[in-house]
Amino acid sequence: MSDFTIDSINGEKSDSQISRIASWMIRYPPIFTLLLIVVVCVVIGTISPEFWQISNIFDIARASVVTGLFGLGFLVILAAGGIDMSFAAIAGLMMYWITTAVAAYMPWLPMPVIILMAALGGMIIGVGNGLLVHYLKAPALIVTIGTQYVIHGFLLTFIGTELFVNIPLSMENFGKAELMRVGTQSGSIAILPAYVLVLVVAALVTWWILNRTLMGRAIFAVGGSAGIAERLGYDHRKVQVFVFAYAGLLAGIAGVIHVASNRLANPFDLSGNELNVIAAVVLGGARITGGGGTVIGAMLGVVLITLVDNVLILAGIPSTWQTFVIGCFIILAGALFANSSNR
Amino acid sequence: MNSIGTIPKFSQVDAEASQDETPFLEVRGIHKRFGGVHALRGIDLCIHPGQIYHLMGENGCGKSTLIKIISGAQPADEGEILISGEKVSGLDPLGALRNGIETVYQDLSLLPNLTVTENIALSEQLVGADGKLSRGLDLGKLKETATRALKSVNLPTDARFCSTEVSRLPIATRQLIAIARAIASDAKLVIMDEPTAALTKREVDNLIEIVDQLRSRGVAVLFVTHKLDEVMSIGGHFIIMRDGEKVQEGDVAGHQKSDLSYWMTGRKIDVVRYRSTEIGEKDLLVVDGLKRRNAFADVSFSLAHGEIIGVTGLLDSGRNELARALAGVEPADGGSVVLDGKTIHLRRPVDAIKEQIGYVPEDRLSEGLFLTKPIQSNIIAQILDDLRDKMGMVSKLRSKKMAERLVKDLQIVIANLNDPVQSLSGGNQQRVLIGRGLTIVPKVFVLHGPTVGVDVGSKDTIFRIIQKLASQGMGVIIVSDDLPELLQNCDRILVMRRGRVVETFEAENLEENTLYQAMVAENPTGKRS
Repeated sequence: MSDFTIDSINGEKSDSQISRIASWMIRYPPIFTLLLIVVVCVVIGTISPEFWQISNIFDIARASVVTGLFGLGFLVILAAGGIDMSFAAIAGLMMYWITTAVAAYMPWLPMPVIILMAALGGMIIGVGNGLLVHYLKAPALIVTIGTQYVIHGFLLTFIGTELFVNIPLSMENFGKAELMRVGTQSGSIAILPAYVLVLVVAALVTWWILNRTLMGRAIFAVGGSAGIAERLGYDHRKVQVFVFAYAGLLAGIAGVIHVASNRLANPFDLSGNELNVIAAVVLGGARITGGGGTVIGAMLGVVLITLVDNVLILAGIPSTWQTFVIGCFIILAGALFANSSNR
Repeated sequence: MNSIGTIPKFSQVDAEASQDETPFLEVRGIHKRFGGVHALRGIDLCIHPGQIYHLMGENGCGKSTLIKIISGAQPADEGEILISGEKVSGLDPLGALRNGIETVYQDLSLLPNLTVTENIALSEQLVGADGKLSRGLDLGKLKETATRALKSVNLPTDARFCSTEVSRLPIATRQLIAIARAIASDAKLVIMDEPTAALTKREVDNLIEIVDQLRSRGVAVLFVTHKLDEVMSIGGHFIIMRDGEKVQEGDVAGHQKSDLSYWMTGRKIDVVRYRSTEIGEKDLLVVDGLKRRNAFADVSFSLAHGEIIGVTGLLDSGRNELARALAGVEPADGGSVVLDGKTIHLRRPVDAIKEQIGYVPEDRLSEGLFLTKPIQSNIIAQILDDLRDKMGMVSKLRSKKMAERLVKDLQIVIANLNDPVQSLSGGNQQRVLIGRGLTIVPKVFVLHGPTVGVDVGSKDTIFRIIQKLASQGMGVIIVSDDLPELLQNCDRILVMRRGRVVETFEAENLEENTLYQAMVAENPTGKRS
């Protein structure tokens, strides 16, 4: 008898129901993320029925914005096979520069211009990251840890850890603008801030770049195999500079949004957030080795992380267990997705 | 079409007028040197539209270099390339593509994480945008191109298949996708580098059908191959290379298989046979029914003290997998291995080392050597435990002695034991690896491609070392596709095809041609056995 299996065209074998569901999830990783979100919601909602409130949903949406902007940038870099540890530092620097400069010299500046300036500044630092990674031929992890430290050192030297005392009026108003206001049974009012739209727009733009432009496909091509992509004529340098510039741009925007939404802010607020963002993107099904990932997955990952961060407390679970739960999710996701690529 | 650096040569067009048509591609007097190696020595070649060509020759004859030059991946040192009668200078990959020269390399160059559609049709848009990445994707065109190309290679065109990542597909399907990409755009010449190495008979038939369609559309197809049966059944022209020169060309029709294989291997009429030792009586190693899924099956042989056996076959024959299984690198999943009367289990490389089975891997750069580490460290890498002193530290003195002894025994030419191993020549690097294998005092030594990329002088030294080891009672297994090497060194040669040992020859007085025929023959059933 033959020991060789004649391969079918598709090469996929469906054994049992369970393995079929598993293979389906491997094909569409965001399904897994969505499943985890549903599980978390059902568990917490069962333990504590007050979870099912519109204000909770609004809270999660609000808390997702900054992490979400970071996540989109990280996704794009990861898709191209890179990694970035400097986004929170870039956000901190832009937050500091733009807020203090605008407050001191141009307090009349409208918010769209402020966002534009932050985006531009973040992008410039991102281009620096991209060029360093490309020309030093050093691992992106090392280079961006380096830039993270450089920026942190700079910020510590010049401002220490003080909070901003005055922020421009336009920023303050932008943070207060409401998209939706809903009265609850208990008589309180739940507000969905308008700045969540920034994340929505950023997600749509990122999706468009990744799926509807040659650059998007080039990013995945380089992330899949840089050598082959180059042989096929994709410009490696352009791709690398682009992804870091884009992530820097989003980080810059995230910085000023953070100030606008919190009012009491400090450039170091977002530092230490890096692993959370990476966890979110990986939970959304992006491959840590590059060449994979979707915007919808990354956004679901961000929601999942934010959910765990914000609502475990409702179920009476001490906040110290949050990271424990996230850790378990990551291991679960890692096991599922890693096994898929071994096949 | 040929925008830059093309000068129409009218005299040439006139000269060709006597023929029925201008060749699509003509190369004249191509020379290529790599350091001291003269890889191509004045190659002339004509490719006419709608014709099929088979570029044949043994490993290292220069055929890969030639196709790299034609496809713009490497420049020639001398000679000229004419496309449709016009001279082209400075041909690069993009230039070759613009001129309709498409190459399907052996590694297929597919992007594993992109979909079938994208792999086939993205290149067209990239070339169309002149490499500018800011352009939007034309999804309609992407799909249209992919569908057309998939149809022409008889692959499904449904949405599910089109959106599958290429890494999830079996190798035969990937092969067809690479071909689909090549013909998706307006190809005039499609070069296929050993396209059938991983295909079953049925898939090969499908490929031949596709080639037939291409030809009827006026596309020229150049196969790089050494499967004689396929050459005979496809037909067309053959071009045979040996040692960087074109030795013969002509119509396949009117020639026998044996003619072609004689021209490919011809020169070796008197090979020096190194073999001299007497073989021991007792079996040292008995392998019975060894198998590994999707690699090889039912492999049985025995090896006596002092015996040297060779294992050969084509790339897909399972010979490489067998070698790695014997070393515990990719363990077998069935069958038994008995060494010195004791059944042993080779699940990891460490097991093989413990049982004193030495292994020299095929690819010394990626599987064997720590390139940037000193020669001495490379030699002692497998026996660090034995070299420890009372404190548990690796004894410097004993390490040095061990390395010095092996360097002397194996005549490794070095300046200093502490030089990085990458500073050595290929032959000396190979001897460092053999030296490392010897540190475990092997009973059986598995040499996987022992002289790949090694110059003639070093080859001779390595062969003498192998013979000396055998004369001391060691059993040696040489896994190689270098047939003269096997004929010169072995007592017996096992030929593998499609994962099985199909024939065993006594090496003494064996004709290389006979061995070669056995290697490339089709299985009579036409299926994977």
